[in-house]
Amino acid sequence: MDTLIDLGGGFASALEPVSLAFALLGVLLGTVVGVLPGIGPISAIAILIPVSFGMEPVHGLILLCGIYYGSMYGGSITATLIKTPGEVASAVTAIEGYEMARRGRGKAALATAAIGSFLAGTLAIIGLTFLSPVLVKLANVFGATEYFLLMATALLLASTMSAGSRAKALISIFIGLAVGLIGLDFQTGLPRQTFGMDLLSDGIDFTIFAMALFAIPEAIRNLALGRGAKDEIQSFGNDKWMTKEDWQRSAGPWARGSVVGFIIGILPGVGPSLASFMSYIMEKRISKRKDEFGHGAIEGVAGPEAANNAGVGGAMIPLFSLGIPGSATTALLLFVFTMYGLQPGPLIFRDETGLIWTIIASMYIGNIALIILNLPLVGVFVKLLKMPKEILFSSILVLVVIGAYAIEFSLFGLMMLGIFGVIGYLMEKGGIPLAPAILALVLVPLLEDNFRRMLQISGGSFAPLVTRPVSLSIIILMVLGIIGPIIFRWWVSRRKLLADVTVS
Amino acid sequence: MTAHRTDLITGGAIAVIGAVYYIATFSIQETANIVTPRTFPAIVGIGLIVLGLFLAGQAVVRHRKDTLAEAAPGSAGSAPATAHAVGDGDGAAASAGESSVEIADRSSGQEGVGGIVLEAPPEPQVRKVVFQFALFFVYLAILIPVGFLLSTAAFLMGLTSIYAPEKWIRNLIFSVVFSVVVYAAFVFGLAVYLPVGILG
Repeated sequence: MDTLIDLGGGFASALEPVSLAFALLGVLLGTVVGVLPGIGPISAIAILIPVSFGMEPVHGLILLCGIYYGSMYGGSITATLIKTPGEVASAVTAIEGYEMARRGRGKAALATAAIGSFLAGTLAIIGLTFLSPVLVKLANVFGATEYFLLMATALLLASTMSAGSRAKALISIFIGLAVGLIGLDFQTGLPRQTFGMDLLSDGIDFTIFAMALFAIPEAIRNLALGRGAKDEIQSFGNDKWMTKEDWQRSAGPWARGSVVGFIIGILPGVGPSLASFMSYIMEKRISKRKDEFGHGAIEGVAGPEAANNAGVGGAMIPLFSLGIPGSATTALLLFVFTMYGLQPGPLIFRDETGLIWTIIASMYIGNIALIILNLPLVGVFVKLLKMPKEILFSSILVLVVIGAYAIEFSLFGLMMLGIFGVIGYLMEKGGIPLAPAILALVLVPLLEDNFRRMLQISGGSFAPLVTRPVSLSIIILMVLGIIGPIIFRWWVSRRKLLADVTVS
Repeated sequence: MTAHRTDLITGGAIAVIGAVYYIATFSIQETANIVTPRTFPAIVGIGLIVLGLFLAGQAVVRHRKDTLAEAAPGSAGSAPATAHAVGDGDGAAASAGESSVEIADRSSGQEGVGGIVLEAPPEPQVRKVVFQFALFFVYLAILIPVGFLLSTAAFLMGLTSIYAPEKWIRNLIFSVVFSVVVYAAFVFGLAVYLPVGILG
């Protein structure tokens, strides 16, 4: 009951004209940036963080959350029409959605993605509304031991459950940890890993790191490629919207995708990308039309798109109630919270009740805005796909430079941006995923702090890890998190479930 | 295959970085705490060394396996770990087996995610990438002394002209208008003061 009262209060302030305007602006900006080829939610938020500097915390957060789910949807438009997923989560849409568009069913693909995203997104926010207070109560018994374990779990799951080589994902995490430890040790004030440079004692700024890793390599790569073959944009002007059959075929995948996506989203360290893959594999497995997969099966768009949007809502739960980001994108949001001097977790629900519920309420509104704006406006967004590459990517480079300048106001900050841009490029070249590094960078201070407190309280003993009931359950979850994916991989490979899906 | 070589080089580089990072921890002052300021950096350094060596070692082992499999055609796919999905083009596509949920870019031009084979993005020439980065660093270096407006317009003009020299009028208009609009938006709209440089 309290929850409903709080939510009602949230709606009251989220519906104020200014807040409403920021929610709408957020989803619109998010969609626009998400549609731009090669830019996913992470780059979108990273590039737009500087814009939120001067805003009221609540408005800035409403805006950036809107950008998050707006860009998820924008990415599916790009994936469907030019087969360029802005991020891994829309990779499967780039297969089925693009095939549908080629067969003159582009509008149906976009519609099922939009409606599925809306339904799943809304369900996930309902889940967020009612689960967060429960988790907040639970979090009251959490001590340093539990927080340390949760963060370690998040990092571990980010490597075992990512869509790539586990060794490389772990390397990415360690790179993030290595960068995160540069600077003064907050407990003793001693400089660490500064290689004798005083300028490094403030550490590496998180936004600079995120922008450098996500925006620069992509921009440089595209600019260096020069004009090659033009992307073929699928037209869809005369296509029909969803038919009755499409609705019938989409309903199941929407529902299943929502559930799978939500559960995976809650898990620490696991982003929406895995949710969309799981949903895709599941839909293919239970479909009676297996042969259609890879050639434009609507289930293969409906399920994964629902799953990744449900994953967004799910991922907000550990972020809001425990202050632990589950993915690189929520790590960015956590950073934005701390930038405003707010610390997500149980305390924010107690001390900043109005703020947190306003943000949650704005998510309901943003989701509705997304579907109202996007289906009719899809023709406008598609025009963005025609933007010349050199204009798009050179503008992005300028925007990240402004961002880096606005943070440090120094040549040093700008050089860090450039250097980490090179590092990001080399990482991509070596096949090392970038997202886990971002997550690790955000988590390392918290991880170290809680680890120290745990050992201080216990006097140097590791016993609390297994003697406290809550921490023991987290350890069990952790072990399942390691074994689960191994079994899953084995099962997938044994059945050769996906081996025949190829796009030529 | 080249992917093995990439892994070998990547792994080696990571191990070296780990070693440098670990050596740097020796200059952190020791304290009497249970967890000293050195503890975490040292763990991270060692972790990087171990992971780098693992990746490099894995690449060597896989390279040997592949060479053996090629030497004995028909026996490929005997173990679950080598169940290759056949893609078009020149040979077996990435994925399957232990790496079925891995991004494996073993075959040329294709990339498997979750066993779903996607086209790998085309790779630009190294020379051009270096050149683009060089331009970017020049821009970063001159931004503060020269000022935002002039350096940004020049940078944009440079990038777009390399890409599409024949559209120089459009490039010029874009470079100037974009710089001015962004400058105005940040300075007057968001109160983020950008460097004025020689124009100030």
